[in-house]
Amino acid sequence: MITAHSLTKRYGDATAVDDLTFEVPAGEVTGFLGPNGSGKSTTMRMIMGLDLPDAGSALINGRRYCELDWPLREVGALLDAKAFHPARTARNHLRWLALANDIAASRVDEVLDQVGLTSVAGRRVGKFSLGMTQRLGIAAALLGDPGVLLFDEPVNGLDPEGIRWVRHFLRDLSRQGRTVLVSSHLISEMALTADRLVVIGRGRLIAETSVADFIARSGGGSVRLASPDADTATASLTRAGATVLVEDGGLTIGNLTPSQIGDLAARDGFRIYELTPVTASLEDAFMQLTRDEVEYRPTGMPDVLATERGV
Amino acid sequence: MTTEILLDAPRNHYRPRHIARSELAKIVTLRSTAITVGLTIAACLLVTTLVTHGALHQQPRFYQGFDPTQESLAGMITVALAGGVFGALLITGEYSSGTIRSTLAAAPRRPLLLATKLGVTTGLTMAFCVVLSFVSFFLGQAILAGGGAPSATLASPGAARAVVFTGVFIGLLALMSFGFGLIFRSTAAAIAGFVAVVFVLPLVMRGISEASVRYLPTNILVGSIMSTVVQVRGEPFPPLAPAVGLVLMVLYAAAALAVGAVLFVRGDA
Repeated sequence: MITAHSLTKRYGDATAVDDLTFEVPAGEVTGFLGPNGSGKSTTMRMIMGLDLPDAGSALINGRRYCELDWPLREVGALLDAKAFHPARTARNHLRWLALANDIAASRVDEVLDQVGLTSVAGRRVGKFSLGMTQRLGIAAALLGDPGVLLFDEPVNGLDPEGIRWVRHFLRDLSRQGRTVLVSSHLISEMALTADRLVVIGRGRLIAETSVADFIARSGGGSVRLASPDADTATASLTRAGATVLVEDGGLTIGNLTPSQIGDLAARDGFRIYELTPVTASLEDAFMQLTRDEVEYRPTGMPDVLATERGV
Repeated sequence: MTTEILLDAPRNHYRPRHIARSELAKIVTLRSTAITVGLTIAACLLVTTLVTHGALHQQPRFYQGFDPTQESLAGMITVALAGGVFGALLITGEYSSGTIRSTLAAAPRRPLLLATKLGVTTGLTMAFCVVLSFVSFFLGQAILAGGGAPSATLASPGAARAVVFTGVFIGLLALMSFGFGLIFRSTAAAIAGFVAVVFVLPLVMRGISEASVRYLPTNILVGSIMSTVVQVRGEPFPPLAPAVGLVLMVLYAAAALAVGAVLFVRGDA
């Protein structure tokens, strides 16, 4: 269990993380979602005690990271692909890590096998591909068999097979009762991997909820209607409290279910040529909620986003 | 649920001995360590050989005030440079490679981590420098004696002191550089700082204040530490006494380390 309470980090005038409070419970995969520069990595670094918060706290099972007795046995972290000396071999990197927390040397070969790096264990890390480096980082995180795992963009640089592997892997870890926090900017990836979401933008909490709730909450679940009697339909639907968006192809209706729309059509006499429930994707929900929170955005972009959603 | 997973963890917590073993493993598993050590030994003994060889078969006048101990320690100047580079790299290497994040993940108590790292660094560099100082001395004396020039033994006045102090002093230079590494975190900056203090400052200070030059590390090393001949005749600013010079160097190294330690413990990694 990870708890962040009023976590705040400033760099000069810029506030990277702003009064952030959230929980990461055990037994689930919690996705940590946010646009680039939203403070995901800074938050994870503060959880790990690498960056010191200006205010607030981040606790792991009720203790600060620096108070842990055997950090690597309690928390495993893949924070940054580049955390290895390029001249050291994979096995030697894991060996010195194991020594630091009195972890049995046999674990080194176990985790190398677990991530599929046994055949290159004696090779220098500097020669590794991004995917191999990422696997080594995951091996390092697993070394102490920890109950809490932090992964910052774990699928970066992995091939499709590797991505699948990580996805199943994270699910397995959480099913074993571990606490798993995974950050990603790949929304579709989160939809497949995470049970819960912590969504941030510009360092502030936007949502902390289940994946399903998140989609529902952000105005998902509209209905598309094609009708030759658009004017009648719009008047009727608006009276019934729906939000109606008139477009070329038809109407996009919010706040009403298809059956309610059908009833209104029968009562007020507008014809239905097509009636399609539309489920918002996690991506739509994310875009909508973080629209104002994207820090780096070319000037032309907001309009593009708006048109895409038909606003 | 998590407690179940943690059940097999040993009691209490990680200790300096765990960090020390880990730090040693880090140093040993880098090929560059072996290369640095090998090159340093070779350069040191080569310089000592050349310098002592150059002191053979000279005119009698050359041997007035001749200090065979100091001659035989000439190679240790190269060790000072290597020690400065090695000391800085032990910490800046971690920052440039990103290893520091893994290190702090394994041992997040920063004062404990730093103290242990410093202990390992001190032990290794001191042992290496003192041993090499003795090797350089014996090699130099063998060449001097073999060529018929005046030579010294460890029993000669001040010789044993000079040999041991030279090793310790250069170990302290490496520690000062380790401090620069903590302050700058960049290899280039730390080594530039070290070279500035050890090799540039003496030249600059000579033009500014002749009296202050003898307080600089390089001048202490050559004038007070390596030397066994007390040169007081008519000199307005005689070299510091060896013990005073060594204490001063301890303070220099401590100052660099203290600033570096504060930045390391209080700052972001």
